[in-house]
Amino acid sequence: MTTDSLPVGGDPRQLLSDVRTLAHRVRLDQRVTWVALLVLAAVTFIAIPIDWYGLDVHCAPGASTQLVQEADASVCTVWRRGVLLYWPAALLLAYAAIAVCYVRVARERGLGARVLPYAITGISLTVLFTAAWVAASLYFPDHPQRFPEWVLVLDRLITPWGTIGVALLVLARLERNVALLAFTLGYLAIVLVPPHNFGWGTHWGYQADFVPQQVVNGIVLLLGAIGFAVAHRRRR
Amino acid sequence: MTAETGIPDPSAHPVTSLDEVVHQRVRLGILTIAHEARRAEFGYLRTQLDLTAGNLSKHLSVLESAGLIEVEKGYAGKRGRTWITLTTAGSAALTDEIEQLKLLIARVETLGA
Repeated sequence: MTTDSLPVGGDPRQLLSDVRTLAHRVRLDQRVTWVALLVLAAVTFIAIPIDWYGLDVHCAPGASTQLVQEADASVCTVWRRGVLLYWPAALLLAYAAIAVCYVRVARERGLGARVLPYAITGISLTVLFTAAWVAASLYFPDHPQRFPEWVLVLDRLITPWGTIGVALLVLARLERNVALLAFTLGYLAIVLVPPHNFGWGTHWGYQADFVPQQVVNGIVLLLGAIGFAVAHRRRR
Repeated sequence: MTAETGIPDPSAHPVTSLDEVVHQRVRLGILTIAHEARRAEFGYLRTQLDLTAGNLSKHLSVLESAGLIEVEKGYAGKRGRTWITLTTAGSAALTDEIEQLKLLIARVETLGA
């Protein structure tokens, strides 16, 4: 009897296809990607004035140092106090806000949320960046040295804006979101190859020196938020 | 599956390993949504699976009796809400069902070649 060997629930190909379609639909309904990017963009923009006013520059002729002014041959130590004062707290609050928002939106839609590993990764990276920056601030003033380019690239990955990108990779994986993955890789490329490399902001003075990078990062995150929000709205 | 050990017999036809509770379009859909969503609300399941409340309730009862899902009733404000969560057994049953379906497709394709 041929009926004995046929499944009772229907064509297996159709069943598997239904399973994949349903799983995909659930993942789409769980996403609030634009909210995460909007919060991170806001955090990045708010950091600009804090970094500006929190910059501590000490210039002295012949002192040990990190930066050298060519004009008068004096040597300056630049300390980004604002970064350590603002970013750890801001990022912790941002990840908490994103997690709460994801859970609430998913609950309203009748679903559970998958955001917890993202928030944990973000918080862990924030702790790592804070520890690394505190260690650097204690060690390097007395032990100045020049690093090869690959160390600087690695260093940019554990800056606050670098950790934002790494954590977004985790979110893209959790959501199986190819668009977010592509966006994050683009964002990380911008973080790892900052505008200085193209000559932007190199002669704007110490305070303005860090602005182009943060403006570019903020704009990219904001554009990403707008893009994902528009895509989400169209789908619904 | 061998009756004595419970270990699947590799020579057996994949159809013999299908679990009749799971191998049903709607119930497979419920398990899939609950697995993907961590937990799913009754209304969401009804909309996605295009079922009446009564029909969905029957399928949920079957899955709950088999220990594959847990049903939790609660409130959102004054509105009652029913949440469905997959149990460990439910997760294993879903994985097994998908595996059997893939085997079945592979078997059909081998025979057709």
